[in-house]
Amino acid sequence: MSRAVRVPPASDGEASHRRREALWGLLFVLPPLAVLVTLVVLPALDAVRFSLGLVPADNVSYTSGLNLVRSDVPTLQVFRDLFANPVFGRNLSLTLFVTFASMLLLAVLSYALALYGRFGVGRLRSIARTLALLPMFVPGVIAAYALITFYGDNGLFEAMLGRVGLPYETVVRRDWGVVLGSVWTGVPFAVLMLSSGLDAVSEEQIEAARDAGAGFWTVLWRVVLPLNLVPLLIVLTFTFIGVFGSFTVPYLLGPTSPQMLGVSMQLYFGSFRQPQVAVAMAVFSFVVCAFAGALYVLATTRQQGRRA
Amino acid sequence: MKKFMVGMAVAAALALGAHVAAQRSPVTLNVYSEGDVNVQDLWQKSLIPMYQKANPNVRLNLVFSSHGAGNQSTLDRMAAAQKAGKVSGVDLLEGPVDDAGAAGLMDKLDAKKVPNLTRTDPKVVQRVQGYGVPYRGSSVVLAYDSTKVKNPPRTLPALLDWINKNPGQFTYNTPDTGGSGNAFVTRLLRTGISAKDSDLFETDYDPAMEKQWDKGFATLKALAPKLYGGGQYSKNNVETLQLLGKGAITMGPVWSDMGLSYLKQGLLPDTIKLTQIDPPLYGGASYVGVAKDSPNKAAAYAFLNWLLTPGVQAVVVDRMNGYPGVKLQYMGKDVQAKFGDIAGDFSFGFSSKFGADMNRLWYERVAGTPQPQQR
Repeated sequence: MSRAVRVPPASDGEASHRRREALWGLLFVLPPLAVLVTLVVLPALDAVRFSLGLVPADNVSYTSGLNLVRSDVPTLQVFRDLFANPVFGRNLSLTLFVTFASMLLLAVLSYALALYGRFGVGRLRSIARTLALLPMFVPGVIAAYALITFYGDNGLFEAMLGRVGLPYETVVRRDWGVVLGSVWTGVPFAVLMLSSGLDAVSEEQIEAARDAGAGFWTVLWRVVLPLNLVPLLIVLTFTFIGVFGSFTVPYLLGPTSPQMLGVSMQLYFGSFRQPQVAVAMAVFSFVVCAFAGALYVLATTRQQGRRA
Repeated sequence: MKKFMVGMAVAAALALGAHVAAQRSPVTLNVYSEGDVNVQDLWQKSLIPMYQKANPNVRLNLVFSSHGAGNQSTLDRMAAAQKAGKVSGVDLLEGPVDDAGAAGLMDKLDAKKVPNLTRTDPKVVQRVQGYGVPYRGSSVVLAYDSTKVKNPPRTLPALLDWINKNPGQFTYNTPDTGGSGNAFVTRLLRTGISAKDSDLFETDYDPAMEKQWDKGFATLKALAPKLYGGGQYSKNNVETLQLLGKGAITMGPVWSDMGLSYLKQGLLPDTIKLTQIDPPLYGGASYVGVAKDSPNKAAAYAFLNWLLTPGVQAVVVDRMNGYPGVKLQYMGKDVQAKFGDIAGDFSFGFSSKFGADMNRLWYERVAGTPQPQQR
């Protein structure tokens, strides 16, 4: 989000100096670029080609798959089959439901926590700030198991409610179970992001608004939220991308069926021996997430433009 | 000419001497094995002491990989040694002998090398393309709470009947996550398979034949609402055992050896009993093979042959509570009596490609449609 630096026109000597500097820069960029190309870009291209029916001869896990669509020219047959499969439809709608529900809940919850962390008073405030960051240091698998133990059948939560005679039906292994896990694991990043944005909102701006007679909600709605829009956008997009393709949490906390795309991909790749379908789903997910990313870039650049 | 003859004689004498020396000097066989604690105990406490007592010249060095976690690195090591033209140090391998064999790392075995191989079921050996000898079998059995079930079901129809009459008390794991649930699904799919195609499903692949699964899938689908939590499946072998231990379910399919070791460690109450139905849920064999680059092949063959002798097999059966690797007719009367008609039909799972399709279709047809809402 750095703005372009305007460079004054340079003299000849300075130009050659700068050229040498640029060369050094290029040299430093090359190794990570090479890693990126060989480990990410090339396999990704390979996957895209494979999903279009071009089966590479030298990739054992690809060629030994079942139900392969083989073609000499790129074809969309794999995708057509995928979208025609009602199971995929159910998996996709679950994925979208979980993704949007998590985004919404996470945004509300994290904003509340971040606001409290910024404007709250007393010792409780710093405790809450620390607690909100705690899940960051808990690996996803452990967190998922902890949630199962707590919220699952015959778990602690049920026992606690049972004491006061309240009925309970677990969300573990239901769609809301995945939402619960996603929100829990997503809170630290979201709170960090939103807090840093809120910390940048200066006290003077708020004081000025207060002096003009604005109440808490007006300050929030007219001053704080507009100034903190970019962090919120980051949180929303990253949550979308993260939850849409997540695996561990839906695998452990989700229903047996339908499944989120991440889990479904793994099943198709491993258990069902249909790597082409799995790869097609991966390509589809990539396109969806790239779209979300593009929306975010568009929104932030417009925001920047308005500010400039 | 004379010089040449002398040279030949000297060479022959040297060769003979070397051969004799090789016979006398002790041989060390590195045995790479995998499995749970019970498998490790079997090797360390029974098989290795027994063999070394009878063959003091052979030293057996066990390299154990718990739950097969080190299998991939063992295979990588063998492949790397082969590429470099060196000896890997692996002589005997228990575990993924078919994968290793397909990668050209294993020695193909036959009855000339291991005479007792004739006592095993050829179909069982064929499942790993002859790259190992099946030295023990494990099977999936039915575990139940004996305080709640006095007369456990003995047949598949009786089991289905029990599940229907006791809703919420039974479940199995998803077929892709463990053999116990997989065996239950396989057993039901077999109800629609004609006898003549049974073998084909174990060794071949032809998707057109999967129509014969329709009957089994329909039964499984109808069963779903009667399962634990109105259609909940456990996530793996262990979770079924845990659900049993918690008392959340009363009955479920489990691996015989896992169930027994859980009982032994007190992870399951001793009111949980194991039984087998007829026709049985399937089992699988564990195989030991010889590495292609092993310099001690003669000793390795001899060991494998010994492993398949009735006395040793009886020990294996006793320690593991599984099936013998050889056909039952070669076992003693007591072992034959123990397994009765169960081991007579050593039931197998489908070939890996059929298995992959079975998993997918199970998700699509059984778990894939919305379950009835609870309450």
